[in-house]
Amino acid sequence: MKSSEKGPRKGRLRTKMVRRLSGSLALLFALTTLGLVYVALSPTPQTAVAADVSAEQVAAGAQLYANSCITCHGSNLQGVEDRGPSLIGTGQAATYFQVSTGRMPLADHGAQAPRKEPFFNPEEVDQLAAYVQANGGGPVVPDGELQNTDALALGGEMYRLNCASCHNFTGQGGALSQGKYAPNLDPATDEQIYSAMLSGPENMPKFSDGQITPEEKTAIIAFIQNNKQSIDPGGAPLGGFGPAPEGLIAFVVGMSAIVAFTLWMGSRA
Amino acid sequence: MTITNPGGNAAGTDTSHSAVEVSDEELKSMSREELARLGAKLDGVELVEYGIRYEPGSPADKRAERAVSAWFLLTAIFAIAFVGIFLFWPHEYQTAYSDSQLAYALYTPLIGLTLGGSLLFLGIGVVALAKKITPHEVAVQTRHDGFSAEVDRKTLSGEVFDVVDKSGLVKRRGVLKGSLVLAGGGLGLAATVGALGGFVKNPWAEGADSQLWVTPWAPLADGTKIRLTQQDGTPVRPEDLEAGSMSTVYPGVSGGAKFSDAPVMLFRVRPNQGISIRTGQEGFQFGDYYAYSKICTHVGCPVSLYEQQTGRVLCPCHQSQFDLYDGMRPVFGPASRPLPQLPIELDSEGYFVATSDFIEAVGPGFWENGKYPAWGSSPKEQS
Repeated sequence: MKSSEKGPRKGRLRTKMVRRLSGSLALLFALTTLGLVYVALSPTPQTAVAADVSAEQVAAGAQLYANSCITCHGSNLQGVEDRGPSLIGTGQAATYFQVSTGRMPLADHGAQAPRKEPFFNPEEVDQLAAYVQANGGGPVVPDGELQNTDALALGGEMYRLNCASCHNFTGQGGALSQGKYAPNLDPATDEQIYSAMLSGPENMPKFSDGQITPEEKTAIIAFIQNNKQSIDPGGAPLGGFGPAPEGLIAFVVGMSAIVAFTLWMGSRA
Repeated sequence: MTITNPGGNAAGTDTSHSAVEVSDEELKSMSREELARLGAKLDGVELVEYGIRYEPGSPADKRAERAVSAWFLLTAIFAIAFVGIFLFWPHEYQTAYSDSQLAYALYTPLIGLTLGGSLLFLGIGVVALAKKITPHEVAVQTRHDGFSAEVDRKTLSGEVFDVVDKSGLVKRRGVLKGSLVLAGGGLGLAATVGALGGFVKNPWAEGADSQLWVTPWAPLADGTKIRLTQQDGTPVRPEDLEAGSMSTVYPGVSGGAKFSDAPVMLFRVRPNQGISIRTGQEGFQFGDYYAYSKICTHVGCPVSLYEQQTGRVLCPCHQSQFDLYDGMRPVFGPASRPLPQLPIELDSEGYFVATSDFIEAVGPGFWENGKYPAWGSSPKEQS
């Protein structure tokens, strides 16, 4: 900063009023600069931009909530002890996943909520999700195409690193401790996989956009859906568990065929 | 067909050629068929029935010939088909969204069917040739019982040991015997040196920097602390993780994702989640962030099935379970030691760094575990 002029005029400027004014201006300037620098340098956390939702949607969602969810999740989404968790901050993604896969409303308290026929139609699912989103916000499934079919290799790599340990390398799911399990991915839609990654339902860890970028998420979804539609080598997937059942079948069927053939040859000799 | 006749000769009789005397003149004048019969007779085989199967040129003969050639022709066709498919069939990977996925999916089954079929038909053809074309025969062969005759065994051992005696290999020729031992030992060493090579290196040669003590997480010589990075080298910040998430991180050095002892699980637990830390590892966490080795202490599989509600981390290989809320102690399965915790903090730019290396052994077997010298003592200098 330039130093102010020296000389007789300096004293005239130094009235109390001017001093206060300039001081507060300098403070304002400093704070604004600091704020701008902070905004520029601070990393942006994962923010969810909700799709345009109308007040009618939220109101309809509130009605559905009062009819079907309030018993376990409480009148203000605060959760009920020993019945259901708080929904504040879980956002549209969690609601969409749980309700569209039929896991919620819950039939009974078990080790895990199984996938079943959805209780609500897609429109009602969106209304419920809008209502939960309007109370505390949270992650939101973005609109648009959720599959990036050009990045299958990247999707495969990310899938094997982050998903395959629980969901099996062909998405068949697998067992966890004490009756819990990682579900089979065969019936899952793009939106359901995306919302599961964002919200971490049941015992699945959350995968925020900072950990797996949206591009990587769409690549993972493309890899999963591509796997489902691929023609199985040899025609039968044998459960999708790889070499163990394949080797068993090869040994049992193949060896039986060889033994039967040799016996037949011997009987004809 | 050959029928062996057991007990043809009593044990101990001469089992070489049967007593068949053939003079040179007779041998010269013999036809091919007679020679074949003589050969069988010399081997103690008597042909009860022998002869061509069908009248040459008869319909039955032609039918047999056609049937056998058909198998060999099939062999050739399948082999050529295999070569053609191997060379020209589109074998490049096709996604489920491409039109040529079916062709790609058929590639492997087709080369298996063609080459396998070719081999199978060759085998069937050879069997058919033996059954339909070669002469029809019923043979009887006398079989001897037991071991060789006494005279044969005595004379053979006599021959062998006489050679050994006359060569002087028992009482003399120390140099020769020594060189033979050396030759055997040298060749034996040459055969095993590849396997023994791993034992030659002294793991303690680098002292405090020995690979047994140090992982890539150790701060560099100039004191630079190693950043926690994702698989692609992106450094990790606290806001990258949501509460209730787990990320696999690697040391931010070149090739960091390739080290076998380096993968680390970075957890962010929910706020106000009660967590106990093992004694001596207080302050290793950063807020709600905890970093633990991903290498199972049982046999070194990647422990990565994280149940974010229960805080259990499961190992896929042998179902060991570790409790994140109890200092990562094993609660089920064959693993007997807790996963080592990596001390973490933030650097000046807000990225996670490892404060120091692990303070205990990563992974399964470590012969110093719980023994003298204990971890961190000699030959490692206390840092």
